[in-house]
Amino acid sequence: MISRRALELATAILTGSFGVAVIASSLDNGIGWSSAGVDAGTFPFLTGIIVVLGSLYNLVRGALPAATLASVPIAITPLELRRLAGLFVPAAIFVAAIPLAGMYVASALYVFAVLAIPRHQSVPRALAMAAATALALYVVFERMFQVSLPHGALAAAFGF
Amino acid sequence: MDNLAELLHGFTIAVTVPHLALMAVGVLLGILVGVLPGLGAPNGVSLLLPLTFGMQPVSAIILLSSMYWGALFGGSVTSILFNIPGEPSSVATTFDGYPMARDGRPTTALATAFGSAAFGALIGVILITFLASWVAQVALAFGPAEYFAVYFLAFASFVGMGGAAPIKTVVALAIGFAIAAIGIDTVSGSVRLTMGVDELVKGVSFVVAVMGLFGIGELLVAVEEEFHARAVSSKIDWREVFRAVGRLRRHGVALLRSAAIGCWMGITPGGPTAASFMSYGIARRFSRRGRHFGTGEVEGIISPETADHAAGTSALLPMLSLGIPGSATAAVMMGGLMIWGLNPGPMLFVDSKDFVWGLIASMYVGNIVAVALVLLTVPVFAALMRIPFVVIAPLIVIICVVGAYSVSNSYLDVVMMLGFGIVGYLFKKLFYPLAPLVLAIVIGDKAEDAFRQSMLISKGSLGIFFANKLVTCLIVGGIALLLLPLVLQLARLWRKPASPAIDTPAQEKVII
Repeated sequence: MISRRALELATAILTGSFGVAVIASSLDNGIGWSSAGVDAGTFPFLTGIIVVLGSLYNLVRGALPAATLASVPIAITPLELRRLAGLFVPAAIFVAAIPLAGMYVASALYVFAVLAIPRHQSVPRALAMAAATALALYVVFERMFQVSLPHGALAAAFGF
Repeated sequence: MDNLAELLHGFTIAVTVPHLALMAVGVLLGILVGVLPGLGAPNGVSLLLPLTFGMQPVSAIILLSSMYWGALFGGSVTSILFNIPGEPSSVATTFDGYPMARDGRPTTALATAFGSAAFGALIGVILITFLASWVAQVALAFGPAEYFAVYFLAFASFVGMGGAAPIKTVVALAIGFAIAAIGIDTVSGSVRLTMGVDELVKGVSFVVAVMGLFGIGELLVAVEEEFHARAVSSKIDWREVFRAVGRLRRHGVALLRSAAIGCWMGITPGGPTAASFMSYGIARRFSRRGRHFGTGEVEGIISPETADHAAGTSALLPMLSLGIPGSATAAVMMGGLMIWGLNPGPMLFVDSKDFVWGLIASMYVGNIVAVALVLLTVPVFAALMRIPFVVIAPLIVIICVVGAYSVSNSYLDVVMMLGFGIVGYLFKKLFYPLAPLVLAIVIGDKAEDAFRQSMLISKGSLGIFFANKLVTCLIVGGIALLLLPLVLQLARLWRKPASPAIDTPAQEKVII
């Protein structure tokens, strides 16, 4: 279970650290005024400052027991968390597999895995859908629009 | 009546067989992304974007804008038949649309929604026809300082009128600006904010951000709730369609009021979502039957639908004439314009007359095509909703992955897209607004350039923003909008010192 407060704090910290990274990085480009006008780092520097200040405000507001947050104390229930993971984890594995397996093989495996392993569909139907997905991608992108999707290291090893 | 002559010329461009076919394809694809949860107008349009690079700009914008109309209509179909808004902007349509459909009047609900939507869109297009070229003419005289002031006003109006928590809006905007700055700086040529990753030199494409924020993010929000597509009957009774549209005349006041709200929210970048909620709220307050709202009132459907489409359409006005998009989808289209080599803003009306008036004429025709097609295809798309979500979800993930990759054939983009997905989920969950983030990514560079150019002209003095009446008014207006939430908060404290803030969850939902 994740409380609304924890989620607010985590997001504020996330945005805040992005802001800090922006500030640090833009200092390298120089901030302020030089002979060429406003330095390249100035604008990002200012936006970084705004992000950090805003995140601090959201952090404090999230930490305070405010009435607005009390109305929805629980942001994600355990069941919801399981559903989220059920969607996101396979998707992340799919993306991680693309450089090795290539877009076509990876997406076919991905479709097959999420349909057949939790038994949402029978194995033959899941296989058919997986094959149809890869084929549709190939026809639409490689053939119709001449966009080459990654074939993957495995395919390269086999000489495709 | 120069405009009318130009418009007629535009019709000769828009009403050709290939363009009508593109409209039909665009509308159908639009209804598809509008119906599917997790795919919406912004990422639908950005998915199609790479496929338009080989097209004439006029044909490309007709395809993309038709998709936008289709998505707006498609979102209402699921709202009414399934109580599941396919688009954030059609959430308010569920309040009265679904109860009416459940009571055995789905055709009435759909026809009322489409009729008032078409009316809203029509008012929006008429506004564009007569106002856009005039605004562009005024804007031709703008210098960098005026441009920066207009950008500032646009961003400030998000904070002041967007409806989301103001500081969250500011954070979303500033993050968007920072993301826009990643890569090579166009003025000095130096590389910025790459954090040591060489591949980031090319910058972060808004398409990647939109795919993640709206695609994966929305999917994650949708998967949390179990999906019950308990449809009411989706049969269309054609006689009832015409009767329901005929009855719309009785609600003339509501139609006009909602269209006015929609146009206002579309031109000032409040966006369709805020417009539909605001219109619904105002209708409930002023209607004689306000107490019955939520049980299937006709005006409860008319108000959000008219405002939604009026805002969606008029969001293209500032995009065309100033180069400032009024909604997230308009921002994506504007990104497309820049990729096709057009320069959004007043010069469009001088350099690319065919493009501008072809687009405006296509908006009249495209909305008629959209109404006809959506009525004809309601049963088909309703059947689509019965496909289990577990089957649709991985397909949408694949579409987003391929879409992000095909922007510049980069694997890093895919990984970033997934990262944006997490951010989109968190932001949606906690009511950070996403539209300002996308807008800032698309026009952040232009706003920064305008600021730096004005600084060069004034040799570093901020006085240039108060140098003449126009620019002073714009800047002061922007500052007023920025301070508006603070003033309202103080006023509330002044009146009722002890009462808790009235941000109920229902109100927070308004915000996306």
